[in-house]
Amino acid sequence: MEATTVSGARIGPARRSRGLFRDAWGRLRRNPPAMVGLFLIVSLVMLGVFADLIAPYDPLAGRLADRLQLPSAEHLMGTDLQGRDVFSRMLFGARVSLMAGVVAVAVGFLVGGCLGAIAGVFGGWLDPIIMRFMDTLLAVPSVLLAIGVVAWLGRGLGQVMLAVGITYTPVFARLLRGSILSLREIDYVIAARSAGASRMRILVRHMLPNALTPMIVQGTLSLGTAIVTVTALGFLGLGPPDPRTAEWGVMLTDSIRFLRIAPYLLFFPGAAIVLAVIGFNLLGDGVREALDPRQRR
Amino acid sequence: MVKYIVRRLVGAIPVLLGLSLMVFAFLHLLPGDPAVAILGEHATPAAMERLRETLGLNKPLSEQYLTYMGDLLRGDLGNSLVNDRPILKSFMEKFPATIELSVVAMLFAIIVGLPLGRLAASRPHSLTDGAVTVVSLLGVSIPVFVLGLLLQYFLSVQVQILPPSGRIDARLDFPQVTHFMLVDTILTGNLEAFLSALGHLVLPGIALGSIPMATIARITRASVLEVANDDHVRTARAKGLSEARVSKRHIMRNAWLPVITVIGLLTGYLLAGAVITETVFAWNGVGSWVVEAINNHDYVVVQSSILVFAVIFLTVNLIVDILYAVLDPRIRYS
Amino acid sequence: MMPLLEVRDLVVRFRTHDDVVHAVNGVSFTVEPGDALGLVGESGCGKSVTNLAILRLLPQPAGRIEGGSAVFDGTNLTSLPESALRRIRGRDIAMIFQDPMTSLNPVLTIDEQMVETIQAHRDIGKAGARARAMELLDMVGIPEPSQRLRGYPHQLSGGMRQRVMIAMALSLEPRVLIADEPTTALDVTIQAQVLELIEKIAREQHTAIILITHDLGVVAGRTKRVNVMYAGFVVEAAPTGELFAHPLHPYTVGLLHSIPRIDRAEGEPLIPIEGAPPDLRDKPVGCAFAPRCAWRIERCWTDTPELKDAAHDGPVRLNTDGSGEIDGRHRVACWNVPTPAEARAGRPLGRRLPRSTAGPAPAGEGESGS
Repeated sequence: MEATTVSGARIGPARRSRGLFRDAWGRLRRNPPAMVGLFLIVSLVMLGVFADLIAPYDPLAGRLADRLQLPSAEHLMGTDLQGRDVFSRMLFGARVSLMAGVVAVAVGFLVGGCLGAIAGVFGGWLDPIIMRFMDTLLAVPSVLLAIGVVAWLGRGLGQVMLAVGITYTPVFARLLRGSILSLREIDYVIAARSAGASRMRILVRHMLPNALTPMIVQGTLSLGTAIVTVTALGFLGLGPPDPRTAEWGVMLTDSIRFLRIAPYLLFFPGAAIVLAVIGFNLLGDGVREALDPRQRR
Repeated sequence: MVKYIVRRLVGAIPVLLGLSLMVFAFLHLLPGDPAVAILGEHATPAAMERLRETLGLNKPLSEQYLTYMGDLLRGDLGNSLVNDRPILKSFMEKFPATIELSVVAMLFAIIVGLPLGRLAASRPHSLTDGAVTVVSLLGVSIPVFVLGLLLQYFLSVQVQILPPSGRIDARLDFPQVTHFMLVDTILTGNLEAFLSALGHLVLPGIALGSIPMATIARITRASVLEVANDDHVRTARAKGLSEARVSKRHIMRNAWLPVITVIGLLTGYLLAGAVITETVFAWNGVGSWVVEAINNHDYVVVQSSILVFAVIFLTVNLIVDILYAVLDPRIRYS
Repeated sequence: MMPLLEVRDLVVRFRTHDDVVHAVNGVSFTVEPGDALGLVGESGCGKSVTNLAILRLLPQPAGRIEGGSAVFDGTNLTSLPESALRRIRGRDIAMIFQDPMTSLNPVLTIDEQMVETIQAHRDIGKAGARARAMELLDMVGIPEPSQRLRGYPHQLSGGMRQRVMIAMALSLEPRVLIADEPTTALDVTIQAQVLELIEKIAREQHTAIILITHDLGVVAGRTKRVNVMYAGFVVEAAPTGELFAHPLHPYTVGLLHSIPRIDRAEGEPLIPIEGAPPDLRDKPVGCAFAPRCAWRIERCWTDTPELKDAAHDGPVRLNTDGSGEIDGRHRVACWNVPTPAEARAGRPLGRRLPRSTAGPAPAGEGESGS
């Protein structure tokens, strides 16, 4: 696209920009590690979603006679202490572990976002109180805080998701509050010159993407650590109360005693967790680079 | 400088109050009947009543809080519900084990992570840089319990070059004075015991320290790269200073400021990670004590330990902030 | 007399993963002892990059010298081993930068930074170096130098910081001082002071100066010669007075007509130069200024003009204010130099070759109408 000025002088072609998110998606697509991460995540999610179609056995039931078998054609990933098929448990475990991570981050995102928004928009005495409360939460290392909350509420998957979500609340609250505070300045300036509500609406449409961007980046990065924390709590026995539940962390607890004879009980759930975390980390880094106009380091 | 320290200390007070409130809520505001939660549903009413008396649950909430705060300030964290020993005392006995583990982990993280980060930064976008990036990514992505179990399997079970668990060879016996295994073995002059203790620290130390190591490598790399492009580095070169001098005084001096902050934050990770690592390696520290307490419904131990950990974390961060101010004159004189 | 510094056909490119930036495309100039050379041009024209290249301070690994030479006192700086170059940096050729806030190390005291400069090139103890530093601070007009030495950069104002930079740069009495936009980041009132200071010390120590700026006003009073740069080329070179009185290159003409001047009639409009500088990622073809030039002809699109002596009857060597001779030539790189009348008017005055508005179309696009 060329432009010419009045006198006929030429200006070079303009670089077209198509909106923040579409540009970001384009950048993301051209980022190989991020795409690898995306592929990993999508694969794991798909495996979880279609678990009941793919799984050859019931993840909760097993025959004692079949227990602790090495991986074979019949049992792709072997069987555990109760004779249950590890592969099937892995697939259903994907559902539980991944979903728990996502819900936890979602809780943190929503609750933290709301608190941060309230603190940023209303200010006054609400602001310091909310932020002090966030500071208090941050003073406890996150896994310990999660343990504390679960100890308080009792064990269970829901409790774990809530607890981990609480540990993410301060981060999101701070982020959104920070964005709002810096955008408020622009608000006043425009308001002074603005000519009606329509400008305000445009502002909201431009303000929100800018405010949400760091939240989205943080959310993607947090998914990785959320999976770790959720499975760690499962490992410690704080997760689903039913010992039969298929969850990657719980499956690892079982593996401790049988490392010598059944190391595969460690490898498969361990690998799954690591792959999920790597995937989210790669994707998160990619999302950060894609959304940050500064790019390239 | 003094003003800065005072300001930070004063700023910590509301957080400490908040913490005490939170732990108080965890202990005295249990959803449902605490007595049931702790003793189980089949306990006798008499036992439940006795428990309520002990925990002071029958008194009004405000009175409970005041008693609680009073106890805290006197250093009384309550007694374990399982064996009725003062929690603080048990904590002090078990804490050295956790400290030993954490210190080894942090040393590993710094000694390996810092040079790796610097190496990667000195050759940006090269093969070395790529390798370091991959290693850090893996390090950050493998959770402590997975890595711990893997190390146990490969180096203890399969190859058997390192002990799988415990702090020291169980057959060795000697008096425990400080509860720091390394110190105690030195005090008794027992070289075999000392080496055994050292050997037992390797696997858990690496497992716990891997994520900090990867994080430190990443931050160091990013920080050095960023500072290397700063204007004042260009000025230093323009003055004709040697590359070694530029690197030491102008790049690193500025680059390790963010690294120090990260180390402070990583302490929090170490405290939390210790809980998991001690479980994997049957390490007799506060971490495994907490897990045991969870399984025994000994909530007082759990919450009180968390409180102590939080206070330690706060203190470490305070020290890091002060250290930062010492190193960065812009903070000192603002 | 042999020039102190001779830059010849210098070519600098920046290479990143995706792009090549043609920052400097064959720049030549000389600096003589006692000279004061101004390098003028808008942002991105290559004036800073050229000078960074002389001392090989280009950002690594992207910046590379890909042609030409910079000869200082007989030694080619572009091919010198790093260790030898380091001896020249700071001691023979010193450089000060635009933003004093970021150009000083924030975590070291002024003392430490000045002493290390001196000790890097002289075998002198800390006490001796510190004494010299105090002398220098005094020379640049910083009050209470001993106190300032113990302080940190962020405790000083912008003007003070720049004075410290100047003191540091001149601590070893270099033969050439390169000042890269030394006053751009400062308040207007301080600007004059700092420029004054640079001029004064340069005179006292017989240091040659290269003054880089985008501000014609800065150049007017403080330089003996001026080189005008555009898109990585030197388009005009002349003694300062001559350049302002008789600008030859259309770009220079445009520049001079776009700033308010006392010697012009009131009410005369300012004529902005339309368009924007070229994207340096494109390889230069023909004259870089052609797209914006009102005097362009067919040839301008295809052949890059070289800097050549203009027909002009001034002396080749000028003797200025008794401080030595300088190059008095007036050179310009243009195929169709405006006449003196057109230069005064700021636009072509109808005659001669028909103006060509059409030019080679950028790849893939059709031509726009005439």
